[in-house]
Amino acid sequence: MSAATHVLEIDGLTLRLPRTARPVLDGVDLTVGASEIVALVGESGSGKSMTLRTALGLLPRQAAVGGSVRVAGEDVLTMTPARLRDLRAGTASMIFQDPRAAINPLRRLGDFLTESARINGGAGGERAVVRARHLLAAVGLTDRVLSQYPHELSGGMLQRIMIASALMNDPGLLLCDEPTTALDVTTQAEIVALLADLRNTFGTGMLFVTHDLGLAAAISDRVFVMYAGRIVEHGPAGSLFGAPRHPYTAALLDSTPRLEAPSERLAAIPGQPPDLRAPLSGCPFAARCAYAIERCRAERPEPENGVACHRAGELVLATVREGDRPRA
Amino acid sequence: MHEMTGGADPVLRVSGLRKTYGVVRAVDDVSFTLDKGRSLGVVGESGSGKTTTARIIVGLEHADTGQVAVAGRDRTESRRHGRAERLRRAREVQMVFQDPFLSLDPRIPVGTALRETLRLHFPRRDGAARVAELLDQVGLGERAAAALPRELSGGQRQRVAIARALAVEPAVLVLDEAVAALDVSVQAQILNLLADIREQTGIGYLFITHDLGVVRCVTDDVVVMWRGAIVERGPTERVLAAPEHPYTRLLLDSVPRPGWDPGRVAADRRALASTAAPSPSSPDHRKS
Amino acid sequence: MTAAALTRRPGLKHIRTRRNGLYLTCLAFVGLVVVVALIAPWLAPADPNATDLGAALTDPSPGHPLGADIAGRDTLSRLLLGSRTSLLGPLGIVAFSTVLGVVVGVTAGWRGGWIDTALSRSSELLLAFPGLLLAILFVALYGEGLLAPVVALSLAYLPFVSRLARSLTLSERQRPYLAAYRVQGFSGLSICVRHLIPNIAPVVLAQSTVNFGYALLDMAALSFLGLGVPPLTPDWGSMINAGQTALLQGKPLSAVLPCVLIVVTVVAFNVVGEHWADRVARRER
Ligand SMILES: Nc1ncnc2c1ncn2[C@@H]1O[C@H](COP(=O)(O)OP(=O)(O)O)[C@@H](O)[C@H]1O
Ligand code: SF4
Ligand SMILES: [Mg+2]
Repeated sequence: MSAATHVLEIDGLTLRLPRTARPVLDGVDLTVGASEIVALVGESGSGKSMTLRTALGLLPRQAAVGGSVRVAGEDVLTMTPARLRDLRAGTASMIFQDPRAAINPLRRLGDFLTESARINGGAGGERAVVRARHLLAAVGLTDRVLSQYPHELSGGMLQRIMIASALMNDPGLLLCDEPTTALDVTTQAEIVALLADLRNTFGTGMLFVTHDLGLAAAISDRVFVMYAGRIVEHGPAGSLFGAPRHPYTAALLDSTPRLEAPSERLAAIPGQPPDLRAPLSGCPFAARCAYAIERCRAERPEPENGVACHRAGELVLATVREGDRPRA
Repeated sequence: MHEMTGGADPVLRVSGLRKTYGVVRAVDDVSFTLDKGRSLGVVGESGSGKTTTARIIVGLEHADTGQVAVAGRDRTESRRHGRAERLRRAREVQMVFQDPFLSLDPRIPVGTALRETLRLHFPRRDGAARVAELLDQVGLGERAAAALPRELSGGQRQRVAIARALAVEPAVLVLDEAVAALDVSVQAQILNLLADIREQTGIGYLFITHDLGVVRCVTDDVVVMWRGAIVERGPTERVLAAPEHPYTRLLLDSVPRPGWDPGRVAADRRALASTAAPSPSSPDHRKS
Repeated sequence: MTAAALTRRPGLKHIRTRRNGLYLTCLAFVGLVVVVALIAPWLAPADPNATDLGAALTDPSPGHPLGADIAGRDTLSRLLLGSRTSLLGPLGIVAFSTVLGVVVGVTAGWRGGWIDTALSRSSELLLAFPGLLLAILFVALYGEGLLAPVVALSLAYLPFVSRLARSLTLSERQRPYLAAYRVQGFSGLSICVRHLIPNIAPVVLAQSTVNFGYALLDMAALSFLGLGVPPLTPDWGSMINAGQTALLQGKPLSAVLPCVLIVVTVVAFNVVGEHWADRVARRER
């Protein structure tokens, strides 16, 4: 895929916060193409949400950033505040895990949907309402919700509103931060079906953060696996989950309880992810990795062919439950 | 629907529980039994009445009608609030809550919290030794005793919550979405820990969850709740392999997997909602 | 924490207590006033009740650094010693209303039902009754002295604390850690005393700090009216009263200084209390 068709292009992104011993994000490389769904998976605290927020220029105060984050070819990190506002209003938008926390409970949903259009002067009130109706139909809601308040709707319906609102200005890039985690499994299916549909109709590129590997495998074209602020493996969803090459990816898959598997002990990953307050040397996964060797503790593995592991070439990762890996 | 297989005297027997909030039938004629040392899963979407059932069982809520009996003793009747009665009820059933960030007093160090419980229930035993034993049992070092909840990770806090429940030495442990807030790698550690504890102590689990993978992994039998009522029950293996009720099938189809078609699941869901007997719609936002 | 907000008077609502400089200044001032009150007898240059008629209504001089009042009493000494009475009254009021208010509020919030209704209604009733009037009534009934107005104003301030404690209890009750203690078999009393009250205490104490300022103002008003503080005891409020004539005669210092002290102390307590409450609220998030 050529650079021109990337709606999001993150290059060597590094982000440090005060009072931490290692970078929160450490050399993240990631791309999202037009009408592509890319999943970003990893445990909580690994830096998924931070990566997502940087794409909108939403940096924590006192953050020291390096590298580049280009949305539609333009570097977000060097944008003026005015340009950033335009970006958030038009080119890229975001949906969050908890729609109820992201929507003002005291305003009608119609106000919420057309708010940014009215403030940013974009389409003008009339056209905004027309677009809102159109999008509501696209997300499977009726106009009736325009005059309703958030508390009158269920979580799943509110998440649709969030999605409609994110699409109001026809963004090329949609950033989704665990958009279905707070929802029921059956509702999750609806929202995912909706997102896939919208990708097809509007050609939106999506970066989809989740900790659910099964979901990532089922919906995305490509997957990036993040650990301790670094991308440890990436590749097409099918091959990445079918034949993981990084020990962390394999371990994550093995620790996920699966429907099809016989009920037996899970292969849990020992220990915990590294703390931000402790410096890291060598491979961040070394302390928990079953394949770690001397070199892993001393030398940081650089990404090569989509895997950052010293032993990627030699390891044939023993798969605990070969048959039931998700295949996309 | 066949009754769950059960020995002569189950450790937990729930019969005919009902609870309404206004027009919402939160729990609608729920009955099941749990045998000693077994693990029973309760699955269903949020708002299906799982949490309310759990809260009635542990005594945080009163049922409108119905009974909960542990080892043959009814615990719904008694409204006496004497100390002995309180302690006896606590030793029947303990509970682990969903959010380990909220279920521990933020001001109390782990060791103190455990000692508090031990002093209440076993004033004559050696508290310090038992605290160490409990911490060890849930895979925490003795150093954890001095830590405040905020100094621990989510998984560690959930271990503390489990240790605190075990301190009472209950016959039944109710776990309400106890691993839902944890990352998969930590979740696997806790699920393994729970399996070990059951093996060692013969405690019974009532395992409430919406994650069918988890159900598969830690329960022997399962009941499926939908709109406050049980719509299917049976051995976990059978229910997951050959679901009989359309709602159970929908739940199974909703799990993302190879060849998954979310569009079809969404259509099935709408179909099920429209064919089902109209019941007062319950807003699904009141998450527990 | 949104349900529970501190009660404060409208005029002070607009002070931005989040600013650190202001908070630190106010904290330092509060600390200073307290220390001065504690060691006042050793600080005061003269006997506060010694009348030096020759110095009456003179401008500041080496003998009387802040001048003297109409009876020739040293203003500086009276201010220093006056801080004791001026702080002691509000201290009693705050201590009394906090303890009682927490008991009432927590009981109402925890038990609910008719107990809640009864307690909430009666504190609303108290709230409707002006505190100063109540205090004047008590003084009229029980005579002079600090005790009667302190008891009356404690009752008047009780609803502010109990209302806050009740709403904090209601929101804290929702938290699973309290449910966990109930499931463990702890009694309601021990849960409240050992877990609930310590967890809501920071906000309640912040409210009490704010109340301290207002109580000081009310006590000063009473002693200005000649009620409450026994005659001869130096007190800021009664100093203003005594200074009225001096004011008319163009020597305002003995009346203006206690005024300024009262206002600044009240504002300082307010700012400190609000800042604490803010800090707790931010930590909760
Ligand atoms: N205290 C309450 N007041 C009003 N409605 C409630 C209350 N508790 C539960 N409900 C309602 O009862 C139903 C069942 O809820 P719950 O037991 O929490 O289900 P689950 O645990 O399966 O998500 C829901 O519709 C919920 O809104
Ligand atoms: S580099 Fe070493 S420690 Fe890191 S994942 Fe590879 S084998 Fe494991
Ligand atoms: Mg629940």
